[in-house]
Amino acid sequence: MIRIEDLKFRYGEGDFRLSMAALEIERGSTVAFVGPSGSGKTTLLNLVAGIIVPQNGLIETDGVEVSTLSDAHRRDFRIAKIGLVFQEFELLEYLTVLDNILLPYRINPSLKPDLSVRRRAEQLAEQVGIADKLSRFPRRLSQGERQRVAVCRAVLPQPALLLADEPTGNLDPLNKDRVLDILFDYAGATGATMLAVTHDHDLLGRFARVIDFKDYHELDTTPRTEER
Amino acid sequence: MIRTLYLGWRYLVYHRLKTSILVTSITLILFLPVGLRVIVDQSSKQLTARAVSTPLMVGSKGSPLELVLSTLYFRSEIPETMDYGEAAQVADSGLARAIPIYAKFRARGRPIVGTSIEYFAFRGLRIATGRQLARLGECVVGSRAAEAMGLEPGGHVVSSPESVFDLAGVYPLKMNVAGVLEYSDTADDDAIFVDIKTAWVIAGLGHGHQDVSRPEAAGAVLSRDDENVTANASVVQYTEITDENRDSFHFHGDLSGFPITALVVVPLDHKSSAILQGRYESEELSTQIVRPITVMDELLDTILTVQSFVVAGAVIVGLATLASAALVFMLSLRLRRREIETLFKIGGSRLAIGTVMVSEIAVVLLSSVVLAGLLTLVTREFGSAAIRALIRM
Amino acid sequence: MGTRRCMVGFSLLATLLVSSGCSGPATTEVAPPPTPAGDGALSVYVVDYPLDYFAKRIGGDRVAVSFPAPADEDPAFWSPDAETVLAYQGADLILLNGAGYAKWVEVATLPKSRLVDTSAAFGDRLIRVDSTLTHSHGPEGEHSHGETAFTVWLDLGLAVEQARAIKEVLAAARPEHAADFEDGFSSLERDLLAVDTELAGLAAEGRARPVLGSHPVYQYLARRYELDLASVHFEPDEFPDEAAWSGLEALLNEHPAAWMLWEGEPLAETASRLRDAGVESVVFDPCGNRPPEGDFLTVMRANVDNLRPVLTGE
Repeated sequence: MIRIEDLKFRYGEGDFRLSMAALEIERGSTVAFVGPSGSGKTTLLNLVAGIIVPQNGLIETDGVEVSTLSDAHRRDFRIAKIGLVFQEFELLEYLTVLDNILLPYRINPSLKPDLSVRRRAEQLAEQVGIADKLSRFPRRLSQGERQRVAVCRAVLPQPALLLADEPTGNLDPLNKDRVLDILFDYAGATGATMLAVTHDHDLLGRFARVIDFKDYHELDTTPRTEER
Repeated sequence: MIRTLYLGWRYLVYHRLKTSILVTSITLILFLPVGLRVIVDQSSKQLTARAVSTPLMVGSKGSPLELVLSTLYFRSEIPETMDYGEAAQVADSGLARAIPIYAKFRARGRPIVGTSIEYFAFRGLRIATGRQLARLGECVVGSRAAEAMGLEPGGHVVSSPESVFDLAGVYPLKMNVAGVLEYSDTADDDAIFVDIKTAWVIAGLGHGHQDVSRPEAAGAVLSRDDENVTANASVVQYTEITDENRDSFHFHGDLSGFPITALVVVPLDHKSSAILQGRYESEELSTQIVRPITVMDELLDTILTVQSFVVAGAVIVGLATLASAALVFMLSLRLRRREIETLFKIGGSRLAIGTVMVSEIAVVLLSSVVLAGLLTLVTREFGSAAIRALIRM
Repeated sequence: MGTRRCMVGFSLLATLLVSSGCSGPATTEVAPPPTPAGDGALSVYVVDYPLDYFAKRIGGDRVAVSFPAPADEDPAFWSPDAETVLAYQGADLILLNGAGYAKWVEVATLPKSRLVDTSAAFGDRLIRVDSTLTHSHGPEGEHSHGETAFTVWLDLGLAVEQARAIKEVLAAARPEHAADFEDGFSSLERDLLAVDTELAGLAAEGRARPVLGSHPVYQYLARRYELDLASVHFEPDEFPDEAAWSGLEALLNEHPAAWMLWEGEPLAETASRLRDAGVESVVFDPCGNRPPEGDFLTVMRANVDNLRPVLTGE
């Protein structure tokens, strides 16, 4: 699903450097990125998503060389193929729950909505337990509910890749599990690949693979078995 | 595009208060200079329409503005009177028609306008109910005056005494309402029209009385000899002209010396107009000729100057408001930076994100323009009626 | 920034949308032309019968003459109702006798521009009459109304002047028919002057005796045809009271009249009593109103016949 070769990235003139000689992630696997702050975990997610472009190297996501795509193509690719979940949820405060879920279909013409989309959105809402709150605004939802809405939004276009950046960072333990359940259930049901950045070591056991960014200049990318 | 605009719409609805304030203030600053201009244009037209239709005016020397206002709108101080003979002079010159106006008295606050019957044709006034003036002591009432005073043909209206202290002077005259005029949308609607001779009766210049030579009047006779019968003060000065006493009414002296307040002069052509104006240029004359449109134009210049200042002020305020609105939009964009970033991250297209952001400004501006346009249309439709009501006040 | 430009653009659009064509007011400096002299007869209203006759003679079919006074009233003292006054207002021309003849005109509302005083040209030749009654009001002191005699047409020379005034005003209103009016006037003038000449001829013989007028309506006749005239107030259809007869006697002492001119046939008794006093009665119809038979000229010719003995002193 994801293949990286000879990656070199830095933000402008700053000190931060991310180098990665090689990385391969199989389709359908669930990978956790761990490591100290500033070690490049989020950066790698952004690179994989095509949100940023490396100065050097190749990034191939779902068979597409995102590193060489134009900005417009990367957006189109992203909206269809990648579902993003953020630590701060990033819902639009002025849209109802339902409109938030449907958001991807309104901000890129390459995603064409039809009746099935709306039905799917409602089903998703039902599955995550917020079906009765579809006309509410985010300010009237709890943290857990908001993240569930965000997850629905992320998975509505049925992306092949889920990228979650600290998805449970702002949640209490009960909701952490719930949200992760939803993510893993989706991945499992659809065979989607999931990459998650997390600081919460309690969760690592659920992932098939953990990649440590401790040493951000060098990256040990050898696939290993579950680590506890 | 529609789907994206929907997002913009939801944003505006969610921030109703902010949106309303922005739309209201921008609408106002767009509307104010334009609306003001429309109102002033209409007022000018109103004020000048009557002046335009009155080519020339002759009056006693004095303030031309006073003469014009009192003759066109029956307002202002009553100007000094001039001789009725002036009308014959103008008519005899063959250069113009002359219509006398004697607008000195009032009845329940409304002006009593003594004039000739030609006035009605000149002003295009038509009878709505009843009939035209026919005889001494009758009046024809403008539609608004009739409505306000509850007058109809066959009714009566009494002229007001000139002043409380004028006990031995003007006698209130009870006039018969012969007819009510059609609504003309001019100052004529508020006036009571009488034959100029009736106005002179109100002024005490004409009267009728019992025939003191016949035996029945013996009681009212002070002395009688073969040639002369002197009546005592008990001879009644009538306050009402009826079919019985109308024929006894008469005027003492030469009518050409009787007072009028103005002459409406309608020249036959431009050349006649010029000649006529030339005749009044002499300093020694006690009368003057004015062109009402010139007088009103001067008045309007003053108004327009004031308008310029107001518009300038409005424009300055408007610019400040627009600057504030621009600031609001810019701050709004800044506040939504995170939203923009999220939309970008999840894959929103440039166009879609741009549309969502710009739609806020676009919808506000468009609504303001439309509202300002509507307000202006409304002003144009109803502003003139409001202005007329104000002018009459 | 793009939004700024958009805003300026919108303002311009707004101004364009809203600036209606405010054209300046049209200036009318001059009078619209007077009531168009169209085709169709000129509508002429008159206040007495002589004017009615003259206007018809002069105007022919070019004029529609109206004289609404009832035949049994003296037009000088007739008072039309409001509807009749309104009819006068609608006329193209209103012919007045002048000399204060129709009292009602003074208290009626008529369009001055269409009033024609047919005696205006000879205002200096009007006869003033000291009224039989002067009256005064307390504060103003004594004064007289100084009335003017108004039966000017009985001086046929003045009648011609009146006719001339009518002709001129008709021609001014309908210049295209001026020639016709001139013809009409000439014909009328001939007829009037014929009567005038006849009367003047009779008067020239200088044998006229003093006369009385039953009413003060013969002043112009007297002046023109040199009659020594004094007037009383006798009604043709009423027998005068004793006070009137005594007054007559007193008058006859200073003014030994042999004739009394009547507007109409007097009562037989009156005529008889007058005869006893040495006064013969003769009818000279001023013809202020429509005669039951004939027209102005036939009445005048009859008047001439009646007056013949008065003038020739027969």
